[in-house]
Amino acid sequence: MIFKFAYRNILRQKRRTFFTIMTMTVGFTLAAIIIGWTDGSYNLIIEKFTRAYLGHIQIHYQDYLEQPTLYKNIDNYREVGKKLDELQTAESWAPRLYAAGLVSVGEKSTVGQIIGIDPILENKATGFHKQVKKGKTISKTPAKQVVIGKVLAKTLNASIGDTLYIVSQAADGSIANDMYKIIGIVESDDQMKDRMAIYMHLYDAQKLMVLENRVHEIVVMVEDINKVDEVVSQIENSLNNSQLNVLPWMEVNKSFYATMQMDKESNNILSYVVMLIVGIGVLNTVLMAVLERTREFGVLKALGTRPLQIFILIIVEVLIMTIASIVLGAILGTAANYALSHYGIKMPVSYDLAGVTFDTLISEVNLKSIVFPSVLVILAALLVSLFPAVYAAKTEPAKTMRFH
Amino acid sequence: MDEQIGKEVIVTENLKKTYHDNGIPVYAVRGVDLTITRGEFTAIMGPSGSGKTTLLNLISGLDTPTEGKVWLNSKLVSEMTGNELSDFRRDNIGFIFQAYNLIPVLTVEENVEYIMLLQGVPPEERHKRVLKILEEVGLVEMIDRKPPQLSGGQQQRVAVARAMVAKPAIILADEPTANLDSETSGELLDMMRKLNESTGMTFLFSSHDPIVIQRARRVITLTDGKISNDKIKR
Ligand SMILES: Nc1ncnc2c1ncn2[C@@H]1O[C@H](COP(=O)(O)OP(=O)(O)O)[C@@H](O)[C@H]1O
Ligand SMILES: [Mg+2]
Repeated sequence: MIFKFAYRNILRQKRRTFFTIMTMTVGFTLAAIIIGWTDGSYNLIIEKFTRAYLGHIQIHYQDYLEQPTLYKNIDNYREVGKKLDELQTAESWAPRLYAAGLVSVGEKSTVGQIIGIDPILENKATGFHKQVKKGKTISKTPAKQVVIGKVLAKTLNASIGDTLYIVSQAADGSIANDMYKIIGIVESDDQMKDRMAIYMHLYDAQKLMVLENRVHEIVVMVEDINKVDEVVSQIENSLNNSQLNVLPWMEVNKSFYATMQMDKESNNILSYVVMLIVGIGVLNTVLMAVLERTREFGVLKALGTRPLQIFILIIVEVLIMTIASIVLGAILGTAANYALSHYGIKMPVSYDLAGVTFDTLISEVNLKSIVFPSVLVILAALLVSLFPAVYAAKTEPAKTMRFH
Repeated sequence: MDEQIGKEVIVTENLKKTYHDNGIPVYAVRGVDLTITRGEFTAIMGPSGSGKTTLLNLISGLDTPTEGKVWLNSKLVSEMTGNELSDFRRDNIGFIFQAYNLIPVLTVEENVEYIMLLQGVPPEERHKRVLKILEEVGLVEMIDRKPPQLSGGQQQRVAVARAMVAKPAIILADEPTANLDSETSGELLDMMRKLNESTGMTFLFSSHDPIVIQRARRVITLTDGKISNDKIKR
């Protein structure tokens, strides 16, 4: 009965009800898009960033990450790899060896970061071959070839086919020096790598640095990035080696993770602003609906309707409109997010976040983009209805029904 | 039931109400001692401003007295508050107002059954009682209409039906014919009196309309908030 009554009441002023529902629907839809877009974009950045190089999980020897040295390395990395292969949740893995060295081509020289990789595993994990934009990628068997960053190539004035000299200090203290043939140029979303990286076959790097069978880092890609923490503990259990430090990407690159979180928060504020506007719209409607019906509330109260029952009537009226808006908004918001997830909007200017270039608005359809706006709309609507509903509940029949 | 005939339904004792209009006291009701017994059909007569509405509101608990007491069915109404008062009105008083009696979005049936709904009367029972009372006020065929589709007289008859359907101890009507023409007023009062006679329910109404007054069996005259005359006809 109360629903029927409330429903008929909101149909009294069809136009006003329509605009109120529209206000709430638009607010809901905007909030849903903001959330879908925020999550979509950041997940895309995270995906790009972790896929390109960082990986979802990294394994190092002790505190290599904080204080990297040549000597903090993982011995017999293949054994670790075997255990990772056994884990269903780990999709792929790749070993890396790092060293710094003086590099030169002809007259030009600079400092570079030598990265020894397993071409097959690295490609599986991070799509390395695709990052080689010019020339060829490193061959499966070691052949003293290198692929260098785009900016580095420019600095060295080097082109494909040139010979690259590397001088460094090997792990045994001897001078490490050798010559390599530049066979490709790498261009990635990571500016640091473009500026510094010299990729070579892991075996070549191990030989150069006298670190046979050793690596500094193993990256792991997981099936589901949202379950990365679980996979970390699975790997820890499986390795059962306290010397090896297994970390999710959020901890490997804390500043990147923090930037992501902060940007998400700041976008949430937008949703709150939208809801404030919705709240004002609803307040206006409910106030009018209550004020023009004071006589009626007077009659209802005189007949013996309890104040709480009048309060509930008003709240139910608001809730009916709110639920209609949520249903409409969920449909519109999901449709918009779906469209935006398929056809991202190219932004007029691209921007860099944690070294990753980002130029397309991509949305995402997720539960949060429906649940969060629903909660916001309901809260906003209920909050602004409290006062008018209490006002209606307190109607004094003797005052409102005086005729003179 | 019969043994209750002659019993007091309403008793007021030294009832007073003083309003303050911008600090100036307005003595609306100035010491009314009144007893209404079961089955009465009584009019409160008096010019505009004599305190009729105030007196009726004090009796029903819609207003609280400045001084004095009101008993309705031996319960001290003047000291009830909140839900107790709401529930008491729902169960003991039937109201007929001057105008805007009915809820425009509810059908005649829904308007009439509203109080029974609050009381938790089961649907079949409600429907049965609505049909019976609408028959008595001659509006069965209007059962599914909404108030705006009814004439003023019909609306007041629905209000009478609503006031009576839950069988309250008393039916209070403040100038029920104020918005009706004299012919319709007469018809409404005739109908009310007939229902009073057939059901034995108690009616107390106010008016300054001779058409109404002449149909009352007891006429109480209010002058400046005091009873100046009280006579039972025949
Ligand atoms: N809420 C109020 N505030 C101030 N004065 C009031 C109020 N209600 C009624 N009055 C005054 O009390 C007197 C009695 O009014 P009322 O009971 O409405 O008389 P009636 O119904 O006989 O016309 C009038 O002078 C009226 O102006
Ligand atoms: Mg009056």
